[in-house]
Amino acid sequence: MSNTGRQLKIGPTDNTSDQRTPRNRLRLIPEIARESFAPYVPQRGLSRQNDWDLTRIAPDLPRAEGVAIEVSGKLQNERGSPISNAMLEIWNANHFGRYRHIEDHSNIPLDEHFLGTGRVFTDSEGNYTFWTISPGAYLARPDIGRWRPKHIHISVSGGGSRLITQLYFPDEPNNASDPMAILMGDDFERNIGKPYETPKIDVDSGLNFDIVVGGRNAVYFE
Amino acid sequence: MKANTQADLLLPTNEDTVGPYFPINFSDPLLEDLSQFESGITAQPQGVPIILKGRLLDRYGELANGTVVEFWQANAKGVYRSPKHEGDSDIDPWFWGYGRLRTESGEFEFKTIMPGPCADRAPNITITLFSDGISRIVTQIFFADQTGNASDPLLQSLSCEDQAKLSARHEGEADCGSKIYTIDIVMAGENEIPFFDDLIREGE
Repeated sequence: MSNTGRQLKIGPTDNTSDQRTPRNRLRLIPEIARESFAPYVPQRGLSRQNDWDLTRIAPDLPRAEGVAIEVSGKLQNERGSPISNAMLEIWNANHFGRYRHIEDHSNIPLDEHFLGTGRVFTDSEGNYTFWTISPGAYLARPDIGRWRPKHIHISVSGGGSRLITQLYFPDEPNNASDPMAILMGDDFERNIGKPYETPKIDVDSGLNFDIVVGGRNAVYFE
Repeated sequence: MKANTQADLLLPTNEDTVGPYFPINFSDPLLEDLSQFESGITAQPQGVPIILKGRLLDRYGELANGTVVEFWQANAKGVYRSPKHEGDSDIDPWFWGYGRLRTESGEFEFKTIMPGPCADRAPNITITLFSDGISRIVTQIFFADQTGNASDPLLQSLSCEDQAKLSARHEGEADCGSKIYTIDIVMAGENEIPFFDDLIREGE
């Protein structure tokens, strides 16, 4: 073998990253075994009413507190081909920075009108759209005053595509000190949404986030 | 969007950590038990039902709680349900081969069937971990009592010590008759298991 696999890096000031990041270099996969490492996710239709609109728990309920935003973009592979019928699973903290997750024990208030989870599917052109509340930043390391910047979690699965990522917001003061942003370096820019105006729909602003699924995830070209 | 001029490819979106709060309400029981098809249907996947019991451990020997674990395997006849095998007569219509669960504690039980050997490969299950503090990492686990391990090209690319770390051990039968296999997946530090690079190819 003429080279070795990647050395994963530990996120600065991230204790969990220190605990869980493999210390040995990743091993190369013999070519004959390579294809077996690429899962093919069957299409599933699990979706509930209002899953695309995280700003309300249900259509008959009031909107959650904070700034309502639209997030939209195109899902494609590295060759620029759209990935259709893929599922995006979305979750984000509420306006104050609290998740309605049973393991989030912070003292930040819940919002009785915000659930914060949803699923959408890409259309035949690979486009997706959802609405949510712009999440609050929250103090991740009170001992050193390090915050998690505003972010939305997005998990993409469908066919040969599999990606878990986070969408960040432009010009946020906490972006620069985020452990994962530090590891991404200049590439972090690609995970920041691009603002657009939304004069004709019932949200305050929009954020464009085109997603490119790279690497081994593009083994099967849809 | 800016393209990578060398190969004329788009630059990929960065993978990022799943964080600690992957929504539990995204769970799907069908993806946690591949030994059954949907409830109420007279159908069952072919093969020997097994339960893979795993522990995810960090570099201090603590359980890695809140981790999302994904599974990918061939059916009992050694065929993956991927586009490459579309129309293959050995596809099992009642078996997809893709599973997912989120473990609250760091321990998991994944119900499935024993994958068959395929081509030059010993029976194996690809495991993908999404956890707080890291982005996606992948490995493959094998079964100590199955044949073919001694000639599997992936296992044979590793030291004997590392081979053992990827081998699940048969430890009895469950009440339902499924064979139980156990594995410790140590993510970091002493006894760390091998993880694989599915982005970089040999020779690149």
